[in-house]
Formats: sequence, structure tokens, C-alpha cells
Amino acid sequence: MTIAVEMENVSFSYGDNLIIKKATVSIAKGDFVGVIGPNGGGKTTFLKLIMGLLSPNEGIIKVFDHSPKEERKNIGYVPQRIDVDKDFPITVLELVLMGALAQIKPFGNVALEIKQRALSLLDQMGISHLQKTSFQKLSGGQLQRAFIARALLSDPDILILDEPTASIDPEAEKMIFDLLASFKEKKTILMVSHDLNAIITQVKSIISVQQTVQYRLPEEVCEHFAMGLYHVPLMKANKEHKKGKM
Amino acid sequence: MEILSNPFLQLALLGGILASIASGVMGSFVVIKRIASLSGSIAHSILGGIGFFYWLKYNQGQTWADPIYGAFLAGLISAFIIGWVHLKYKQKEDAAIAAIWSTGMAIGVIFISLIKGYKADFTSFLFGNILLLSTKHILFLAILDLIILLTIFFLYRYFVAISFDEEQSTMQDLPVTLLYFTLLGLISLSIVLLLQVIGIILVIALLTIPPTIALVFTGKLVNIIISSIFLGMIFNILGIFIAYFVDIPPGATISILCAFAYVIVLVGKKLVLRKRKAA
Repeated sequence: MTIAVEMENVSFSYGDNLIIKKATVSIAKGDFVGVIGPNGGGKTTFLKLIMGLLSPNEGIIKVFDHSPKEERKNIGYVPQRIDVDKDFPITVLELVLMGALAQIKPFGNVALEIKQRALSLLDQMGISHLQKTSFQKLSGGQLQRAFIARALLSDPDILILDEPTASIDPEAEKMIFDLLASFKEKKTILMVSHDLNAIITQVKSIISVQQTVQYRLPEEVCEHFAMGLYHVPLMKANKEHKKGKM
Repeated sequence: MEILSNPFLQLALLGGILASIASGVMGSFVVIKRIASLSGSIAHSILGGIGFFYWLKYNQGQTWADPIYGAFLAGLISAFIIGWVHLKYKQKEDAAIAAIWSTGMAIGVIFISLIKGYKADFTSFLFGNILLLSTKHILFLAILDLIILLTIFFLYRYFVAISFDEEQSTMQDLPVTLLYFTLLGLISLSIVLLLQVIGIILVIALLTIPPTIALVFTGKLVNIIISSIFLGMIFNILGIFIAYFVDIPPGATISILCAFAYVIVLVGKKLVLRKRKAA
């Protein structure tokens, strides 16, 4: 079994504020992982460590056996909508093309092949008619689809999505989940979501992040969420997951 | 038309046009990247360099030490410090920007206080005096404009990328730190350019108001840049003429024109929206 992401005893803190504590995780290639946890629990930090945007204070992270920095061009990232400047003056096509900046010259025309791939992705997302539309005019669902197209432009092996279905209409949500399902086994997907119903029905594995990083079983996530015990460590779930992988 | 033969006015108009190019291009990036306060900090800290070079020239007899070179040097140094703070200590960025702002000004004030006698054209750096531009200044402005335009042309797509999403740019292996420092360096160059026109205290108005007005009408960056250049030219030329005839400071006049136009656009936009809603 090929391992896509491996973390060993990884800790990260902002100053004195410990965000991730001794995380040990192993994500198989082709896995679809739901990442859950309370707000401020460290989910986004966990993802940024994998993407090489943050460096751990201790521990080792490997992405396809390389350092995250070496592999980050192989990761497509859909950020949280809240982190995006909605007034930024670019068109939808320009936004999508940012997904292949490493292959595009800083000035002049974009290579035809890249442009065609961007247009085909927009078509796949059902928003090709918006290619020349200003980014400011997109609805929540359209915006997320544009960001997913950007993340897919360089055809990465890993796709990381930070709350892609937050505050969007059910139709757009279904489209996003159908799309992610079509990548089954082909891409390794990590998706942060607070929608536990979606997590339980869509993903293959679940990881909870609240300073500690642990695997969880779907039924336990459901049960503990209902009881408001999001933070209770579930060593059992972790052990069973590891057993299942052996 | 007779007044256009006045050589001071000719140089002033030329200076205003050159300054509009820099302010339109770099001001657009300041507005879309939302770094107006950071740019304000660079602008005000420049006073430190001006004061130091002023002191070198008038107290130490270093005739080569033109205060504009001091402004240029201080602008680059403060851009570097602010960029470093932004990249390393993002959470404390606000306080650091304020500290650089006031420290730079304090250094300037101390050096100026050490100069004995008449402090000649010092106030023109504070409030600008476009009517005192010399041919040497015009040449300096033209060179700085050329540097800004060429750099933006060759790195346009990368500057847009880091302005929109630094993390995505990092994921694509762009040299984000280097690009960010270059962008801040260009902003400080444009501030130095605008100093002679509008002065340290009012520079942010000319840098940010034209692109903010343009943003009301268009959602495309290239259009924002072009519109800002033209708006800047209109404000500069109109401001110079009004200041010349009414005998008031041109920098402040240009600044008030910018603010006045912005208020009109905002009110106009609100009225149009209300009318559309009613229909």
C-alpha cells in the first residue's frame, strides 16, 4: 500500500499556543479522509502542515516519501471561503489559471494547452459560461466550484478542501460530492467539514483534530457529536483503525 | 493658454502626469492587496531619511546629499523592515507598522531640529510643492516611472497572484518572499515619486483614492490600473491649476479633489442602486 501522507510525532505551536500535539497519522494513497474538529481546534493548521505552508516544531511529515515542500505542487488546495477576498478584481478564468502558476509565464499569453484544460474544468464544474465574469459576482456555490477547478488544474495527486460545502446551496453541494466521489481511489482527498452527516456518508476515513489528531469511526463521530463530546479522546477508534489497516 | 508658457507650470504639469503613472499602477496594487496602512507607514517613515540627508547637506556640508535620495533610501529600508515583519510576525503586524511609522518620523524630526537656521524647502516634503519641480526632478521621476512600469510588466501575473492568495502562490513554488519585497520596494519608489507632488502627509490620498474610485466601476485589474492613471492625471492637473490661480498649496488641493470625487462617486452609486431597486 502506498502512503500519501505520513506524520510522525508532529507538534506545532504559534508562540506558546500549542495547536497540534504529537500527531502520528498515516494516510493511504486514494483514501478520502474527512477532517473534523471544533473551531480553533487546529484543522486548518493540520492541513497547512501537510501542504508545507507551516513547518512543525518537532516531528516528521512526509508526502509521497518527500518533504511537503518538495511535493506541494502535487497538492491542490481549496481554501475556506472566509479567507478569500471577495472584492478582488479578477475573472473566473484568471482565478482558475492561478492553479498552474508554476507552468505559466509571468507575462504574455497563457499556453493554449493550459487554457483549454482550465476551460474544460470550468465546463466540468458547470460554470464555463462564467469564465469572463468577475470573481466578485459569483454565488457561494459557484465560487467553491471555481476554486475546485483551480485546485485541479495541475492534476494533483492530493486534493485538500477546507470546508468546501459551508454555506452553499444543496445543488452545489451535491455536485461537489459527486465530483469528489468520481476521484475515488484516483486521488487522495482530505476534506474539512462541520457537516458530520456529509462526512459520515461520503468519506472513507475520519480524522478528528483538537490539538491531538486521531482516527475515528463513523458511528462514534455521530454518537459523540450528539453528546457534545467532540473533545473526548477515542483511543479505541484509533486502535481499531490501525488494526483495520494491518 | 498664456499661462502654459510659464516654465514652472510646465514642469509641474509634467511632474503631475509622471506621478499619476506611478500612483495609478502601484496604488491599484495597494488597494487590491489592502495594504494602505502599510503604505502609509512607508510614506511617513521616509521622513527619517529626508531629515538625515537634510542634516548631512546643511550641517555637514555634504552637497551631494539631496533629501530626495534620503527619501529613496529610507523608503526601501522601511519597505524591507515592514515586509520582514509581515512574513515573520503576521499576528503583530499592525503594531509593528505603527512603530515603524512613528519611529521614522521621529528620526526625521530630530535631524531637522539639529539644523541651524532657515529650513528651506523642508515643508515641501511634508505637504508637497509641485510648482517647485526642477528639470532634474522630472528626469528622476521619469526614471522611477520606467523602473516601475518595466517591473510590473514583466512580473504582472505573479504580483496579481501574491496579492490575491499568497498561500496558493507558495504552493505553486513562486518566490513569494522575493515578490512581496519587490512589490513593497516599488510602492516605496512610487511614494518617493509622489513626495514632490503631494508630500508625505497627503501621499496616501493620491495613491489609494483613484484606484478605489475605479474599483466602483470595473472588476478588472487592468481597467482599474488604466482608469487610476487617468483619474490621477485629472486630479493632478486640475489641482495644479486651482492651486496656481487661487494661490493655495497644490498638494492639499489635489488631495481634497481626490476625496471630493470619491464622495461624489459613492453618493452617485448609492442613488443609482436606490433607483434600480425602486424600479
